[in-house]
Amino acid sequence: MQSSSHAAGGTAQPVPHLAGHFASLEVQNHAARLGMWLFLATEILLFAGLFICYGVYRFLFPEAWAAASRSLDLQLGTINTVVLITSSLTAALAVHYAKEGKNKMVAVQIALTLVMAVGFLVIKYFEYHHKFEIGTLPGRFYSYEGIQLPGVPLYFTVYFCATALHGIHVVIGMIVLAFSMVRALKKADFGPNNYTMVELGSMYWHLVDLVWIFLFPMLYLV
Amino acid sequence: MGIANESRQEEQNMREEHHGAGRYWLIWGLLLVLTFVTVETGQIHIPTWGLVLALVIASTKGALVLLYFMHLIDHRGANRLVFAVSIIFVVLLLAIPLVDLGTRFRGATPPGSTYSDMQAIDIGADAEEGRYGGGIRKQGKTGEESGAPKQ
Repeated sequence: MQSSSHAAGGTAQPVPHLAGHFASLEVQNHAARLGMWLFLATEILLFAGLFICYGVYRFLFPEAWAAASRSLDLQLGTINTVVLITSSLTAALAVHYAKEGKNKMVAVQIALTLVMAVGFLVIKYFEYHHKFEIGTLPGRFYSYEGIQLPGVPLYFTVYFCATALHGIHVVIGMIVLAFSMVRALKKADFGPNNYTMVELGSMYWHLVDLVWIFLFPMLYLV
Repeated sequence: MGIANESRQEEQNMREEHHGAGRYWLIWGLLLVLTFVTVETGQIHIPTWGLVLALVIASTKGALVLLYFMHLIDHRGANRLVFAVSIIFVVLLLAIPLVDLGTRFRGATPPGSTYSDMQAIDIGADAEEGRYGGGIRKQGKTGEESGAPKQ
């Protein structure tokens, strides 16, 4: 639904299309951001469910929680945190360059973000693999003799649910950012008036980072 | 009109506060420092306040990401409201079940937990599997040395 005046501009215009029901581009951008924040709020509440499981079972089984969290590889967890924080920096820089219209730099920054995202997933794979080897798995699949306490399998239920859901979000975030990267390379039309696509994709990526910022100390440290 | 003003304000903030990339690097540095701090203090295992400290550090890191990477500091009204409401609901969601569990009649807490006098329920399929839901591998040792009471 384009307003006729803008539709007449055709494809040559680098400015994003203004939908007819918005008063101005500002309002349209504002609406896009508001929509993204609403979506992110639902995402926060989705992860909140798992945080509450964590809180409740930690309250009930404190010894099991302490013992199980110490069985995780803190080094790999810390490396992953640094990787994800750095990928958040490059995602923020991508928006920065999109505003300035430096499309090549946008593509480079998103590419760096994607490389770090892959790195994060590879490290996560090694962590999961180790857990399958020693048998620290959820529920009745738990078979690790080192820690035999009531509630330990519950810790690993929470661990796997939380990290797997987060992992899925990493993959979705990568896909979203990849679309922006392809656009920055092919159309190269990001600029001061048109950076919403990069901005919203980057916001999603920061949410993924935000969730990990809380998951990391909760699962690995305390 | 209100919405239009809000949009204009936000647009201006996003544009005018368009500082150099330095701010992002600064925030990144701060995030790394805070990560280092939380790893170091986390390894001490401070009895009661360890969790509180870790959550305070995580919240600080989260606030930095939200305000500067996600530009919430440049956004106005509705966006902030949406985010604040989601956080209020997270806190409510966490507080209500914990208050419930913390004030329960002892017999109503899950068996095997710190607040229960009953033994953990056997969720294994047979006696060979662990009482605590810990299915000991059949082909391996039976976990006698773990010190857990056996039936």
